[in-house]
Amino acid sequence: MTKKCFDVAVIGGGLLGSSLAYGFSQAGLSAALIDEGDNAIRTARGNFGLVWVQGKGEGMREYARWSRKSADGWSNFSDQLSEVTGQDLGYHQSGGFNISLDEAELEEYLRVLESLKADAGEEGYEYELVQGRTLAKYLPGIGEGVAGATYCPHDGHVNPLYLLRALQEGFSKLGGCYMPLSSIDQIQPLQSSGFELLVEGRQVASCERLVIAAGHGSVGLGQQVGISIPIYPEQGQIIVTERSTDQLAYPTNMIRQTDEGTFMLGASARDVGFNSETTTDTLQDIVRRCASAFPNLRNLRIQRNWAALRIMTPDGFPVYSQSEEFPGVFAFSCHSGVTLAAVHAEDVCRWVVDGRIPIDYRCFGPERFDVSTANTFD
Amino acid sequence: MITQRPMCDVAVIGAGPAGLTAASELAESGRDVVVLDEQGAPGGQIYKGVEKVVADRPQDIGLLGKEYVAGKALTRRFRQSGAQYHPGVSVWQITSDQEPELALGLLQNGSAQMLHPKHVILATGAMERPTPFKGWTLPGVMTVGAAQTLLKSSRLLPEDDVVLAGTGPLLYLYAAQLASFGIRPQAILDTRPSMSLRAARLGLSALTACPKTMLAGMKWLWNARVRVNMVRGVHSLKAQGEDHLSSVSYETRGRRHELSTSLLLTHDGVIPNTWLSMSAGIRHHFDSAQSCWVPDIHGAGSTSRDCISIIGDGARIGGAAVAALQGERVAYEVDAYLRTQHRAMVTTESRALRRQRQLRRFLDCAFPPTADFQLPADETIVCRCEEVSAGEIRQVAARGCMGPNQGKAFTRCGMGPCMGRKCALTVSQVMADARGVSVGEIGHYRIRSPIRPITVGQLADMALVSGED
Amino acid sequence: MFRLRTHSTDPVTFSFEGRRLTASRGDTIAAALLGSGVFIFRNSPVSSSPRAPFCMIGNCYECFVRVEAMGVVQACLTEITEGMKISKVSNLIDESETGIKESSKR
Repeated sequence: MTKKCFDVAVIGGGLLGSSLAYGFSQAGLSAALIDEGDNAIRTARGNFGLVWVQGKGEGMREYARWSRKSADGWSNFSDQLSEVTGQDLGYHQSGGFNISLDEAELEEYLRVLESLKADAGEEGYEYELVQGRTLAKYLPGIGEGVAGATYCPHDGHVNPLYLLRALQEGFSKLGGCYMPLSSIDQIQPLQSSGFELLVEGRQVASCERLVIAAGHGSVGLGQQVGISIPIYPEQGQIIVTERSTDQLAYPTNMIRQTDEGTFMLGASARDVGFNSETTTDTLQDIVRRCASAFPNLRNLRIQRNWAALRIMTPDGFPVYSQSEEFPGVFAFSCHSGVTLAAVHAEDVCRWVVDGRIPIDYRCFGPERFDVSTANTFD
Repeated sequence: MITQRPMCDVAVIGAGPAGLTAASELAESGRDVVVLDEQGAPGGQIYKGVEKVVADRPQDIGLLGKEYVAGKALTRRFRQSGAQYHPGVSVWQITSDQEPELALGLLQNGSAQMLHPKHVILATGAMERPTPFKGWTLPGVMTVGAAQTLLKSSRLLPEDDVVLAGTGPLLYLYAAQLASFGIRPQAILDTRPSMSLRAARLGLSALTACPKTMLAGMKWLWNARVRVNMVRGVHSLKAQGEDHLSSVSYETRGRRHELSTSLLLTHDGVIPNTWLSMSAGIRHHFDSAQSCWVPDIHGAGSTSRDCISIIGDGARIGGAAVAALQGERVAYEVDAYLRTQHRAMVTTESRALRRQRQLRRFLDCAFPPTADFQLPADETIVCRCEEVSAGEIRQVAARGCMGPNQGKAFTRCGMGPCMGRKCALTVSQVMADARGVSVGEIGHYRIRSPIRPITVGQLADMALVSGED
Repeated sequence: MFRLRTHSTDPVTFSFEGRRLTASRGDTIAAALLGSGVFIFRNSPVSSSPRAPFCMIGNCYECFVRVEAMGVVQACLTEITEGMKISKVSNLIDESETGIKESSKR
């Protein structure tokens, strides 16, 4: 029995895949979103929920611009998605603070911001150093020993779980076909054009265009179609506290308050392979840093901890690629699936529809690392 | 409690019959044993407060039942064994096998610390099977276990209008205990199905294997039937009231009835408390005979992690006698591990254990989980903490949600303070049913530390002494 | 709901929401409150529905109360002591000890 052939199939139901899938169905294409099961690696669980611009793109001006573009379009993207699904994403763009606990940290971070400002040239780069009593006004309860923080008006935050749920619901509402529990292990290019996707030898779907957005699973799939994806897992641990009646008005690099009132504490990064277990020493580092930033957090109960395996590339910037051998196959990987959701749903979708990644964005290609096709990242 | 890099040979978590026996055996043979207990005195749940009752209220012992007295000898042996007893300690984590070495995170008197045992024996016992029904979150609705706890350690008795609902041996035992205190509940709303032929056959076999226990149980059932208004074939239980319970309604034989009451005690059997074992990364599976999740156990108590053993009701529901027997058996395995760093498994089973197993087979068959509670109606709250209903779970399952963990993300179900203790089983059951797969296939919430409350400040202040010093 | 079997031989006085109550030494806070006729311990942070102890062994997390000098504890796992000052855990946005003060609108 021939199954329906989709205009486009997206392998990977995390934030990146779901943003793209939503974009495709918005554009009127017949689309399939193919996802794994409940206990898969699920990189998207590492999301903190920041829609963040400040500090990004040192060494690649295009990435700084890309992040800013997405942040600028996030409001519209959020409103539209809310309208389609009737769901609130909890998106707030009040600006955000990057907190530096000591002078050395602050100095280093200011250097990065200055460098970004220089790169931006005429386009401009906004940030403001806030310290002392002024800082305490915006972030009441901030620890006395905190050296300072930088404010960027373009930063914001969203509930990443609501975002994921809305993207998938929006996708389905607009006619998309969600296929869970299908761990694609084989991509079979068809004679004429298009691809067959198989699970253990069984055909699950076929499509004209194919997007691989499977987090760490992209590596193996990419190899099958001649795309090398130099990504590796970076373990991030996150702590969530109980609900608090206090209010933190702005998201920060290490702490944000959710709409339910719980606090998310984070900003850890470790290279430990595919280990998704939390460790006591890292969790303690997180609470110590966050407690230094806001001593009053100390009284809150830790509700749960988890670790997720985020995507890291050698330079920290996304990897967007297209197969030369099999035009029509694209592979996208990135660290900041939340921030870039808006441009993924709008711009990147169009690249796939047009059949090629525009020249301006070739800088995100894997060629920049000069890697061989033999990928050793597992 | 302890200072620089606290260590010991064996840490036993839980001071019920399993933990006390294992600790006594190992301590008596010269091992350095530390017993960590959340309670203030040894005995676990079944022998709760036994030392105090023996000392202060010996007249109560007979009233609480012969089985309760067995705790006296157990605690006396334990106190004399040389094991170190640390009451009032909560264990909020067991380090995963990805950490450099095995360690326990403890909290005592608001202060957190790590303990580094060479081996851990989990003897954390059982917990009540969740019993969701309309109105079960109202003040005035409690578990039978809760009422029994109050009876044993605080001399609190229910008022005469109390209603018991559900099924399971503990329910009838409690009714018998109340009777000896002169209390007659208004009704026992019994949800168990009529006894099947298979259950009757297993019952005969259990009678020959464990006659004393079976006769005691039959006495409790007889007491419940004859001295209390026992209503059979109950379903559609509802608790009603404004800000606390004022009445209970139920259906039987197609008719709805109502009882006025301020206290409803429910029970539907017990299931292993697997929160610590799951958070430690130990492999579990769904046991269909007992309809609950259990750790994979080989031998007396060996698990998928060589350095951790599990015994007692926390391994599989078996009761106090089995727990004590396992405590003895596991000591051999643990001792072998301490000597050789390898698992050695006790495979022979004593006759006593085999007899207990026959008893358990009968109990599992005669008192199956109540269908109404396993698959509650749509408007019933399943997750008490986040107030998520069965209907919402079914909705997200219908929209493609693949399992309880994704369900957490979409509904917040399981994300509250109890970490799913009161809803995990129900959610897995409802989702499995909605998706047409087995409960084992749909899976369980991923349980992670901290599994007991600890604050940001308590963790921040804890001393972490590395092993590489 | 519950009544005491016998009078306490070793009474302890404490307060709950300002009311002076008595219990017996060795009782948990939960038993002390239930024995004193308190049947609403707190309100759910989700819907403000009234809640009280359900399991009495630390598994249901319904019995949270605030104890002066101890913070928020599970009443069924904490022993009552002489002079203990207990109050309900507040879900309302008002002055709280944790003090990241109520800030400008989000």
